Amino acid sequence: MGNGQERHGKNERLGWRATLTAVRAAALILAGLATLTPAASLAADPDNCLFCHEFRGLSRYDREAGGVHVYFVDPDYFHDLAGPHARLDCTACHPREEVAVVPHFPVSRVNCTQVCHLSEPGRQERRFSHSNVAAMLDASVHTREMLSQIQFAGGPLLEPQQSVCLYCHDEPVFRDPANVFPALPALGSRAFDRCDVCHRAQIPVDAEYYLRHVASRLQPARPPLAQTQVCAVCHSDPEVRRTHDLTDAVASFLRSFHGKAALLGDHSTANCLDCHVAAGENAHLMLGRADPRSSVNPANVASACRSTACHPGADPQLAAASVHLDLPTARGTLEFLIAAAFILLTIGTFGPSLLLCVLELFQIVIGRHHEGRREAQALVGAVLAHPAGRRRLVRITVSQRYQHWILVLLFVTLAITGFPMKFADRTWARSLVDSLGGLHVTRTIHHWAGVALMLGFLAHLVYAFPALLRIARRPAPGGGRVGLLRGVWQLPMVIAPWELPKAIQQLAYLVGLRREPPTFGRFSVKEKFEYIGVFWGTTLLGVTGLLLWGQQFFSHYFSGRVLNIALIAHTYEAFLAIIHVGILHIVNVVFSPHVFPLSMATITGATPVTELADAHSEFVQDVARDLGIRGPEDVSRG
Amino acid sequence: MARRRRLVMPSLRTIWRSIVSLAKRAYAAALIVLVLWLSFLAIRYLVVTLMFPTPTPAQITGIPKRLTEAMLESRLTEWPGVVSTDRPRAPLARYHRLDQWIQPDRFDSCTQSGCHSPLPHARRKEVRAFLNMHATALHCAICHLKAEQQPLLTVWYDLGTGGARSAPDVLAAYGWLTSDIGRQELADPTPETQQRLVELLRGAARQSGDVPALTQLAEHVAAVHYSSPAFQQLVETARVTLPRHFRGEYGAKLTLLDTSSQQPVLESPGAEPAIRAYLRESASGDVAGRPELWAAIHANHRPQKLHCTDCHTAAGGLLDFAAAGYPAARLEELSRPGVFTMIEHIAGGQPFQLPGFVRPEEPQQSQPAPRP
Repeated sequence: MGNGQERHGKNERLGWRATLTAVRAAALILAGLATLTPAASLAADPDNCLFCHEFRGLSRYDREAGGVHVYFVDPDYFHDLAGPHARLDCTACHPREEVAVVPHFPVSRVNCTQVCHLSEPGRQERRFSHSNVAAMLDASVHTREMLSQIQFAGGPLLEPQQSVCLYCHDEPVFRDPANVFPALPALGSRAFDRCDVCHRAQIPVDAEYYLRHVASRLQPARPPLAQTQVCAVCHSDPEVRRTHDLTDAVASFLRSFHGKAALLGDHSTANCLDCHVAAGENAHLMLGRADPRSSVNPANVASACRSTACHPGADPQLAAASVHLDLPTARGTLEFLIAAAFILLTIGTFGPSLLLCVLELFQIVIGRHHEGRREAQALVGAVLAHPAGRRRLVRITVSQRYQHWILVLLFVTLAITGFPMKFADRTWARSLVDSLGGLHVTRTIHHWAGVALMLGFLAHLVYAFPALLRIARRPAPGGGRVGLLRGVWQLPMVIAPWELPKAIQQLAYLVGLRREPPTFGRFSVKEKFEYIGVFWGTTLLGVTGLLLWGQQFFSHYFSGRVLNIALIAHTYEAFLAIIHVGILHIVNVVFSPHVFPLSMATITGATPVTELADAHSEFVQDVARDLGIRGPEDVSRG
Repeated sequence: MARRRRLVMPSLRTIWRSIVSLAKRAYAAALIVLVLWLSFLAIRYLVVTLMFPTPTPAQITGIPKRLTEAMLESRLTEWPGVVSTDRPRAPLARYHRLDQWIQPDRFDSCTQSGCHSPLPHARRKEVRAFLNMHATALHCAICHLKAEQQPLLTVWYDLGTGGARSAPDVLAAYGWLTSDIGRQELADPTPETQQRLVELLRGAARQSGDVPALTQLAEHVAAVHYSSPAFQQLVETARVTLPRHFRGEYGAKLTLLDTSSQQPVLESPGAEPAIRAYLRESASGDVAGRPELWAAIHANHRPQKLHCTDCHTAAGGLLDFAAAGYPAARLEELSRPGVFTMIEHIAGGQPFQLPGFVRPEEPQQSQPAPRP
């Protein structure tokens, strides 16, 4: 397979190939060229069985057995030499004496371990058998005896005496050689012209066939998703799991990063065999977890993770990160408790915001509205009449508006590129990832958008620090200066402890227990709460995102379980952010009847006079005081 | 008058304000419902995914594991496990690849009614699969309904829409490629010639169920320049490739033409009430009236059995393949009497020993293939 860098490189190439439609088209065309050449001269059908069997309809329905017998054999498999069995005569598997008569005699089941004759170019024939594979299988956890006794929930999947090989295998096909030789499509037939100088006649070898064969063997037999489908035939069957006391390993695998990547069509991610087959062995020698020779034996898991193909530079403690993270069955573990805590946190933070949002909308439904403070409105009018008043009453500055829209852009980017991973089993997730150019491109965008968000966050801290310094240098009421620590509470976007009663007053007003709503300063408690959510969320998502991105590096400093926790924290916090912004914030700033079709505050920074007078009168008073304008009582009286 | 107007105007304004207010309230109420519903879904998702095991998604389990009759009723694209990966595995009991399935016919009343399987011939072992093979390209009416005309008046109907259509593109493409006029046009091609070929090949690929060989051929023809040697090479490739896909998978079927409506015959005329009654009685277990109903359903059926050579004959056959759009090369294959005489021989209970007529005339050469 190559080392990890090669795998990464392949991943990158796959991703870019997916994005470059033109290159893909060229690859398709040139790959197609190989299949369109008159390769049929090599196809194995000397008895012309395909004369009848090439028809899909050559089939019948067996009402008694409730099944369909399809006698169709895809002729393209042979015409295109699509797989390693394309050169086998039909009679290599089906005894000639049984099929030489039409209608055929009852045919015996194909024995996959029987000796067959491979037709070689130049009319040489070689004897070949899969009996060695059968021997391997019998030494593995999947012995033929065990496989022949499997009971499925819906009844047998194979017909009596059919080879158990069919549980995992059908007619094998070559995978695209361009996956391992990306230059091949660009070379086209030229890749073989030089070979053919000698190999066409003197040393007859079909160079193209062998290249496709070898290139196919240099990659997993199936893409990860298809491989998972094969394993799931048994391992997702409830009856098989019950009788063999198996966990739902496929379902839990699909909740891991590797499984989700497989669902999203990534071809380079680890599949079941990458972990469950020891390096240097083959899939037919898979051993049970309890076997000390097994690659997934607890003593060997770290080596499996750190194989050259996967995480070669990782610390052994990376293996503590769960590949089958199944929270519902992991009750009592730290991971489960943290996930549960995040759900409580979600309810605890989202719930009050939801309540406020719904109650505010409910005020509109019942037609309740506050008449407004006449004095406050007069004061706003007086401030606006001041030459500097309008500028001073802008609650959101130009810089803050830029920061907001950069945050919007990065947030949407991160959501679009991150949520397909969370909902990898949904159809839209795969479509979205494909439209973005594949999982590698999607993840790259996600990573760098995350980095940009972190940098933006640091820039915001730098931006806010001078304001904090100014507050810290102010004289404190009790003498001395406010200082940095106490200054934090006076920052305009921080909820100070003494503001909490206002939140309760707001709630009391909305439920009808108060006649007057509370007034706020420059920002309301609700706005401050949203700001704190972004502050906390960016920090948590940034830190956990970095841990997950650099899991190989951080495995030298943290246990793999820290990565489990980072994953839980990242995904739950991201979900909280999405529902908060996607449901509540969007309603507040876009769909609410007060602001529909869009609150202009984040574009012009201006706030309507009534809102200033009603909800931010403390802010208006501060501005009026700074500008030397009289208090609200004086204004209304004057 | 002016006074009256003054009285009316405020009233209209009030009504308008009331409407606006009402709309605003209704909108706010709708928003509340939406917000609560979305919030409920979000929190429920969190709790459910933590507390209850999630089943394995359909992309993994949604592959056909058994070859059942239901599978014949579905399209390939209806299986999430099949469409989620390239070249998914065949159903388990089947070794050979099944990358394309028998195209379901949702307009054939004989099979859609629930009376007959999509593979209806099941009695005689000797010929049932051969007869079913015809069911992918021919509607039941061709062989089983009475028709006075000889040869039969036929029309193709689209398996996607059920409407009448022209001959399948794979037949049309090959007919053009091998006709004298087609050879002339393709020897001195223009952009229009190339476009026509591309469209025919794309149609052929689509109608055959997206067979990769045809899809790739179409895209390759589209990619080269019409005046290049590569185009001529591809035209030759198309002449070799297309006949391999005369397999009855055309996205269309041939049926009788109803001369009065000029529409394809897709059901036995007037049989629908009898079919419903028959099925109803079958479900209730009441079998007394079934023979009469059966007779009513099949009242228009051809009384005598057809033989292979009634159609597959050099001249005077029941089916006019040429009129149906079959190209000359295919006509020759369809009218080779030896093959069909042999099948009737088999149908008569006589086994037929291979190899013989089916062996290709030229033995396959085993050597590296030339490449363009």
